[in-house]
Amino acid sequence: MNRTDLATALLFALLGILIWVEAVRFPAGVAGLPGPGLFPETIGAIMFALAALLAVRSTRSGASPMAIENRKSLAIAVTLVAVYLLLWGHIGFAPRTAVFLVCLLRLLGEGWKSSVAVAVVLTAVVIVAFQMGLNVTLQ
Amino acid sequence: MSPDVIAGLTAVFQWDVLLFLFAGVVMGAIFGATPGLTATMGVAVLTPLTFWVSAEKGMAMLLGVYCGAIPAGGIPAVLINIPGTPASIATSWEGYPLSRKGRAGLALGVNALMSFWGQLASIFFLAVAAFPIASFGLRFGPAEYFGLALFGLSLMAGVSGQNVLKGLLAGMLGLFLASIGLDPMTAYPRFTFGRPEFLDGIAFVPVMIGLFGMGEVFEQISARHGKPGELPAALGRIWPKLQEWKQMAVAGTLGVLTGTIVGAIPAAGGDIASVISWEQARRISKHKEEFGHGSLEGLAATCTSCNAVIGGAMTTMLTLGIPGDAVTAILIGALLIHGIQPGPLLFRDHRPLVYAIIFLLVLASVMIAAIGLIGARPLARVLRIPNPWLWSGIVLMSVVGSYALNNAIADVWVMFAAGILGFFCRKANIPMGPLILGLILGPMMESNLRRALILSRGDLFSVLSRPIVFFFLAMTAFSLFWPLWKSRRKA
Repeated sequence: MNRTDLATALLFALLGILIWVEAVRFPAGVAGLPGPGLFPETIGAIMFALAALLAVRSTRSGASPMAIENRKSLAIAVTLVAVYLLLWGHIGFAPRTAVFLVCLLRLLGEGWKSSVAVAVVLTAVVIVAFQMGLNVTLQ
Repeated sequence: MSPDVIAGLTAVFQWDVLLFLFAGVVMGAIFGATPGLTATMGVAVLTPLTFWVSAEKGMAMLLGVYCGAIPAGGIPAVLINIPGTPASIATSWEGYPLSRKGRAGLALGVNALMSFWGQLASIFFLAVAAFPIASFGLRFGPAEYFGLALFGLSLMAGVSGQNVLKGLLAGMLGLFLASIGLDPMTAYPRFTFGRPEFLDGIAFVPVMIGLFGMGEVFEQISARHGKPGELPAALGRIWPKLQEWKQMAVAGTLGVLTGTIVGAIPAAGGDIASVISWEQARRISKHKEEFGHGSLEGLAATCTSCNAVIGGAMTTMLTLGIPGDAVTAILIGALLIHGIQPGPLLFRDHRPLVYAIIFLLVLASVMIAAIGLIGARPLARVLRIPNPWLWSGIVLMSVVGSYALNNAIADVWVMFAAGILGFFCRKANIPMGPLILGLILGPMMESNLRRALILSRGDLFSVLSRPIVFFFLAMTAFSLFWPLWKSRRKA
């Protein structure tokens, strides 16, 4: 049994059902013309049907585990990005970005000196390019 | 010479436009020459920068990246057996063995010259074929656009490779994401859950940046590729001899045809073209035994075809508004940022821009050919940039670029979510091409069908029985069922 495909199928089946359930609540069409719900309903139904086919196929195929290496580093990297975004607007762009980049670079194996140097340079380049060059207010 | 051609030439030959083009080519070359960074990523991450400049300058930079990245991807493929971009996978099959035989310079020279030939020939196809196709497209009404979009979507099955079911699921996901926001006909909010940020729908460019930028970085962090191998000490002769040119002539021509046709097929890119071309060149070659061991014919075929995709993809994108590959999907977004809708109307309302794009492509191909011949070795030094520096830079550019489009943090969260989605798609072998097709073609299909039904007063049969629509329906059925029938035959 291919568990990766089975999990994929279950996720898509669930999504298909949720899409369909939400879409049937949209207003109906008038005078024979499709309303806003017809396409999403169709998408949800087709998605569910395809997911069911994938689920059946997964039970007949060999195992193929989803290989995610370096899970800890990956999880920390994703968390770092999420925290960086959550702090957007609460702490100034320059210090927040520099600290984020130092943490990311250290996670990826860089030494302290090079991490700080690269973080400062990248932050400065982005500020010059976007804030000064393109008048984008970076919070 | 027509006034539109002169206007296009005038728009291109401005010092600032040429500067943007050159900057794009150089950045594209760096993206292409660095394993892990792709042409798609480069165009996606740099698209927000084009928001503040004219359409000509914006397109100059992005087309420069497009034309620069693909040939440059052959450099690490030749020198260290790691393709710089997916389109260069097949280049490493012949280029690296040539490098091991002490002929790295010749391999790099063939890469630069045949890439130039592939780009130039396919741009010529664009210049010749685009206007008649667009003229034909001007006859399209809503019903015909619906048929075209449906056909484009049906190609999801064809470009999903072995994973047809997963490809179709990804396509459905793309269609769903495209339906979020205000309904185009009734303005009813769909799947917004009361969030005003979603009333305008899911922004396309942040999704692309997330899928191809952030998602790839997550993949690289997970995979943690090792340090690149040693570069050869000396390159040797770069320019092919006359006898070698003759050897490569047929394969190079075949590469142009394959690449242009594959490029014109929605969502099929250089990686598919180069592999098909390599296989075809091997079949007709009198020296099949050399393939995989440093065959110049094989190398010529792959380098030409992966670059000829450019003209084919641009033709489909400009004339019909359908992406020929992932890069042209992002270019559609870049044009929309400037209020320009690709498709037949582009040729009616913005003809000088079309000519400008053609001239920009030609100039970009000349620039990268020169860089490839003169600067291959210095460019190879980008392989020495530590991966963590590159990935951190890409993460930052992805975040800031997504924010800068609308000064909206919601777009950055969309990009982040798309990055996680992109990572899982890679891990679960879910092709992303169909997702992009769904995202771009879904609104085109739905809104045009509903418009067509309004015009026909709800008569679906009269919509579907129009000759061009019927043709597209037949092609849709063929493209959906042919891969299934083929796989059953093999089984």
